[in-house]
Amino acid sequence: MNLRTIIRSSYILKSIFVISVFILIFISGVSYKHSTALSESPELLNKSYNIQIQLEKLLSNVKDAETGQRGFIITGDSAFLHPYYSAHASVQRSFIVLKHLTADHQKQQANLDSLVHLINLRFNYLDISLKTASVLPVNKDQLEKNMYRGENIMNKIRFQIDIMNELETGYFKDHQEKYSHELYFTPIITFIILFFSLVIFIVSFIKINNDLFVLKKSNEELLIKTESIKHAEVIGEFCITLWDMDSNSISYSDNLYRLLGCEPQSFEPTIENFLQFVHPDDRNIVKTGAEKAIQESKTYARFYRIIRKDGELRYFRSIGKFISDDNNKSKTHIGIIKDITQMHLINIKLEEKNRELEQSISELESFNRVASHDLQEPLRKIQTFISRISEKESLTMSEAGMEYFEKILTSVNQMRTLIDDLLLFSRTYKAEKVFETTDLNLLLENALQELSQEIEEKNAAFTTVQLPVINVIPFQILQLFTNLISNSLKYCKPGIAPVIRIDCEIVMPNGYPALEMNNQTRYYKISITDNGLGFEQKYAESIFLLFHRLHNKTEYPGSGIGLSICKKIVENHNGFITAEGKPDIGSVFTFFLPE
Amino acid sequence: MQTACKIILQQQLDKLKLDYSIPGFNEVEINEPITSNRLIQMNTFLNNYGIEILDAPKSVLIQKIKDAIIEMVYTEKKLPIFKISTYLAEKVDHSYGYISALFSEVTYTSIENFIIIQKIERAKQLIIMDDLTITEIGWELNYSSVAHFCTQFKNITGLTPTTFHRIINKRRNAAMNGSKQNTKSDVGLK
Amino acid sequence: MQNEPVRVLLADDDEDDRLFFKEAFDEIKIKTSVNLVNNGVELMKYLTQKSTQLPHILFLDLNMPLKSGMDCLLEIKNIEHLKNIPVAIYSTSASEEDIEETFVQGANIYIKKPSDFRTLRKVLEEVITINWQYHTSGLIRENFLLSI
Repeated sequence: MNLRTIIRSSYILKSIFVISVFILIFISGVSYKHSTALSESPELLNKSYNIQIQLEKLLSNVKDAETGQRGFIITGDSAFLHPYYSAHASVQRSFIVLKHLTADHQKQQANLDSLVHLINLRFNYLDISLKTASVLPVNKDQLEKNMYRGENIMNKIRFQIDIMNELETGYFKDHQEKYSHELYFTPIITFIILFFSLVIFIVSFIKINNDLFVLKKSNEELLIKTESIKHAEVIGEFCITLWDMDSNSISYSDNLYRLLGCEPQSFEPTIENFLQFVHPDDRNIVKTGAEKAIQESKTYARFYRIIRKDGELRYFRSIGKFISDDNNKSKTHIGIIKDITQMHLINIKLEEKNRELEQSISELESFNRVASHDLQEPLRKIQTFISRISEKESLTMSEAGMEYFEKILTSVNQMRTLIDDLLLFSRTYKAEKVFETTDLNLLLENALQELSQEIEEKNAAFTTVQLPVINVIPFQILQLFTNLISNSLKYCKPGIAPVIRIDCEIVMPNGYPALEMNNQTRYYKISITDNGLGFEQKYAESIFLLFHRLHNKTEYPGSGIGLSICKKIVENHNGFITAEGKPDIGSVFTFFLPE
Repeated sequence: MQTACKIILQQQLDKLKLDYSIPGFNEVEINEPITSNRLIQMNTFLNNYGIEILDAPKSVLIQKIKDAIIEMVYTEKKLPIFKISTYLAEKVDHSYGYISALFSEVTYTSIENFIIIQKIERAKQLIIMDDLTITEIGWELNYSSVAHFCTQFKNITGLTPTTFHRIINKRRNAAMNGSKQNTKSDVGLK
Repeated sequence: MQNEPVRVLLADDDEDDRLFFKEAFDEIKIKTSVNLVNNGVELMKYLTQKSTQLPHILFLDLNMPLKSGMDCLLEIKNIEHLKNIPVAIYSTSASEEDIEETFVQGANIYIKKPSDFRTLRKVLEEVITINWQYHTSGLIRENFLLSI
């Protein structure tokens, strides 16, 4: 897993976390509300209970007052009036308490108000009865009437209190029900919270664990890569520099220090410090290179010399590239510095060898010139002088003398032919090769024209196909055609007119080992088939060798150089030539030229 | 041209104060014996105008033979070689033996060779014109085969027809490029 | 009158070759007057003198010190009154390329110096004869190419 997926998974983790926080807050809110409701329940219960008690108290107070009044009326003793007076105050107190307790119940308040009214009425009657009884003589009728009325109101009070009690009991029952309901849901909610938290915890754990595994793996990979880069740096004699353009901080890999002959990280990685190691003459290259790189945001390969700590001179090549992050904001320059000393030294040696080679080629060429002109000149003169003597002095010379002259002439002729042929062969090595796009048909026609005399003499017949137009050295291909056809004409069977066929086809290099080496896709395969003397297949290779002959010199004159030239010409064109022969049947010469 | 030539001829001959008459084109009759000194004088005078004196009547005869040969080569008369002698003998009204010997003496070459030279000359023109193939030119000039034509062309010029064509083409291109370069350098000098 | 001697000019730095050349012309039946110069510089000096009667044909050795035959050829072809002189290259070496190059530069004849005297005589005679035809029979000089 790569870095990107880890980054993505961290995003997922973050969002999971945020979502779970929100869910937990929500659930906690719900459960908080729940538990507050739960704590209210016993309070309410208590209240209901209190109200009932206060009501009972109220009733008993009224009864106390009544009892006291009765006692007074009956006995006339004012001591009985004591509870009667105190009941008044207690009733007032109970009222206040009840008023407070039933503050949140509209109905109960109304009930309470009517209860207060009734109790006041009751006390009124009690007062009246008391006054009536205390004024002597006692009006019995009026007293009785009042007593009945009082009793009537008393009943109403009881009834009212009953109503209130009942209402309060109803409230209490409601509360009770609600309370038990909440009591039922509380564990479920708690369980849900617990379960949900557990799920989040497990998911997060799995995710984190997964990421950790991936991170660990990529960390390991990174470690391996870093290690292998370090090794590669050492093996490949290069090092990596990182230059953060934003903070302008540079870091050098350990191998840079090694390449400079120092301990890793033994000096602060700055350009100035690095420049200390650069050869004084090359410091400008490095400095201007860095400046130019910053200006153009592009670096070029630079070559410079380094003087190592131990004083050894090394050749370095550095190249780099600017890389920026996706937002194109921060830019970093990665540089590769390579110690190319070995390569450089080899190059120098190679160049030297090349120069030597060029020298020897030009020497060879001048030798060719010498051979063609200066060496030929005296030979030609010898020949001419001999011909002059043998013409003019033939009468005065002895027969033996004439014979010797003949022999000298033969030898000189031989030598000249040899030089001529060698020259012809060496010309195919000529350094400057001018390739031209040429119609091979024209070259073949020209070759046939060159050989027209032999063709006419031997009455040779030709069949040719259309040949391609390709890039060749025209003179050489003309020579190739001329040599091969002249060969076919020369080694024809006595008394049988030569029949020569020229074929051409396009072939792929597979199957031809000699062609596969070249980086060429297609070749023209051109073959020249004759019905001549042919040759043993075992000579197929050797006939291309210089001065190699299969036939007697006197029978078939020639220096044995023609096919060597052919081979060289085809090689000059990056092609190759083969020969097939069957004695007395004929021979086929095939050459391949790149398309 | 002919009249211009005639006027020049008359002027120059008048200068030499010679008694002459001009019976036809290419012919002047001198009606008095002429010394070789006078002849040389006349020759230098006329040479300035590109007029050449042919020694009558031998030279006239030779010219007649040449004209007949050129006519034969350039018109489409395809004569078999053995009939040429008869043709020429009739044309100039002398025996072939005589004209053959005379021709060799004056022109350093035989009639047969001259015919070949003319044929090859014609062939060169046809090659340069580029309208006909080598084979067609061979037929045009009455050669029995291309090979024979090529052999003869090569014997006379030392080159194959194709090589000849290539060289002439290259030479023309070089001349054209050369003249271009020259005008360029002229401009540069100014 | 028609057979005035053919004026022949040879530029060759080799003494022996000049000797063979002169002797060969002495032996051919065509009447010639042979002039010899020893090198290219001398040749150009000779040709540009006012008193010089221009040759009917110029034989030019390619390989000469100071000024090569090729240099002379190029120079001659650029001088108005000299450029119509038929030029015969007279050289030891003869590769197809060399021959073609000299022809392209305006030479008319290319002679590979023969290696025996009889052939030399024959070749020179042939060259003079055919050149004479061009000179006398109104043949087109531009088409005059001969390689021997």
